[in-house]
Amino acid sequence: MTDILELLDAAGLTGRGGAAFSTAVKVRAAREEGAAVIVNACDGEIGAAKDGYVVEHHLAELVHGAELVASSRGRKVRYAAHRGSATASTLRRAGLDVLETPARYVSSEETALISLASGGLARPMTKRKPFVYGGRDSDGRAVRPTVVLNAETVWRVAQVATHGPAWFRSIGTREEPGPRLVTVTGAVQHPGVLDTEAGTPIADLLDAAAADSRAEHLVIGGLGGVLAPVAAARALAWSTAELAQFGGSVGPGIIDVLDPHRCPVAVVDSYLAFAAGESAGQCGPCMFGVPALSAAWADLLDHRPTPARVEIVRARAGLLPNRGACRFPDGVARFTASALQTLRPHLNAHRDGRCPSERTSGVRSRA
Amino acid sequence: MNQLLWYVSRATGLVSLVLLTTVLVLGAVTSGRRAPHGERATVVMGLHRWLSLGMVVFLGVHVGTAVAETYVSIDAISAVIPFTSSYSTLWVGLGTLAVDLIIAVVVTSWLRLRIPERAWRAVHLTSYALWPIALVHGFAMGTASEPLLRAVTVACGLVGIGTLAWRANTRHADAARRSDVLTQEWT
Repeated sequence: MTDILELLDAAGLTGRGGAAFSTAVKVRAAREEGAAVIVNACDGEIGAAKDGYVVEHHLAELVHGAELVASSRGRKVRYAAHRGSATASTLRRAGLDVLETPARYVSSEETALISLASGGLARPMTKRKPFVYGGRDSDGRAVRPTVVLNAETVWRVAQVATHGPAWFRSIGTREEPGPRLVTVTGAVQHPGVLDTEAGTPIADLLDAAAADSRAEHLVIGGLGGVLAPVAAARALAWSTAELAQFGGSVGPGIIDVLDPHRCPVAVVDSYLAFAAGESAGQCGPCMFGVPALSAAWADLLDHRPTPARVEIVRARAGLLPNRGACRFPDGVARFTASALQTLRPHLNAHRDGRCPSERTSGVRSRA
Repeated sequence: MNQLLWYVSRATGLVSLVLLTTVLVLGAVTSGRRAPHGERATVVMGLHRWLSLGMVVFLGVHVGTAVAETYVSIDAISAVIPFTSSYSTLWVGLGTLAVDLIIAVVVTSWLRLRIPERAWRAVHLTSYALWPIALVHGFAMGTASEPLLRAVTVACGLVGIGTLAWRANTRHADAARRSDVLTQEWT
């Protein structure tokens, strides 16, 4: 049998958790370092359900993929899932070693899982170098080499091993080869996970889930993604190259169709209020910046969204990127920037004292 | 000449103590609640750093002249190793101890970007011990016969004690928020 590393190289598989990093590079380092393996099945992003889908429907292949990734030295595979989730109990029933994490946004992040697995708290750690080479936590304690792979990625590893790289490359686009899962949720009649590929028209994904035809906005990629107009999105294909038009990417594969009856400014407010409560209390931009941004956005909802108030939101969002241990503040900043861009007409209407969303016009509500 | 050395040693010792107290106050106010923000923080931190280096110059002259003058015998060894001086073993020894700690604090601050943050922090915290040691040394040795000099030492003591009392009873807003977050579920 050809070595799995060559197969992954040839297939061009990239991480399906959002960062789209080369799986071959990661697995090679993991093998060389004898790294412990954590399969991330947390579905940590808002609206995500695909990790649960993989565990539910493709558990045998998932386990096979994880065995292929684990080196002979560090044959320790753990499956991370949110405490109390259906995914966690399915994994446990299968007799697997489950790493139960608090059902929180930042606790589902790669380095937070590594911290938890090494006896610390499920909070992100500064990556001075990738933890696949080992490292130290913020208290200076040694952390053994550990690699974290998204559940879908590990499932795809098994598929590449079984069907070969040529099959893998025959699906998707040249830049983003292979099958990939997309969760479609929100104002749709059939919410769920679609096994699709890059290049598929977004209109097809929305139609497959029977999205509400009156919906005007959708969120692609959750809190770390972007808010975009449905009309413009329908004309695009599901690929990072095309989603770049909104500043987005295929990311963790989530389309959340927003309820047309709910004011999108209020929806963004509830997203940001959630983000403010998710801080791990470690880095400045997360501890203070994200709550400050959330407060500035709440002002857009509670008062007239004057250009000065909009400018405060933009300025605070601009202070977040590249300063935290993890990329949580960066994602929130990206999401906010896209919301400001997409909702400009809606905010202008608010400024004139009306809300284009039908029922809850101007009424403040928090989800 | 010997007399000149003696006066220089006393004068630079006193200036060192005043500067050390100033540096202590500036350092203490950069942490804790109501820590200076923005440009003011830059000025306070800049003063804290540069005055401490200025103090090292005065301290060097103080130690050098104390060893050089011959009224009392303090040799080069007892300028480095505490409690080895035949003259006034305890009080000179405290001064030597303070100098050694200051050297450690300055060197670790110099290497701060190259050593673990924890190591820098641990050494830097010894400042809270070295300041009273230096104060007692100054009070016991240099100023006993001169009311004005004694008054300066006492003033340094009062300012320093006030600062330490304030620092002990204050907590940075970050620390409060951090401990709040820690009460949430993280394991």
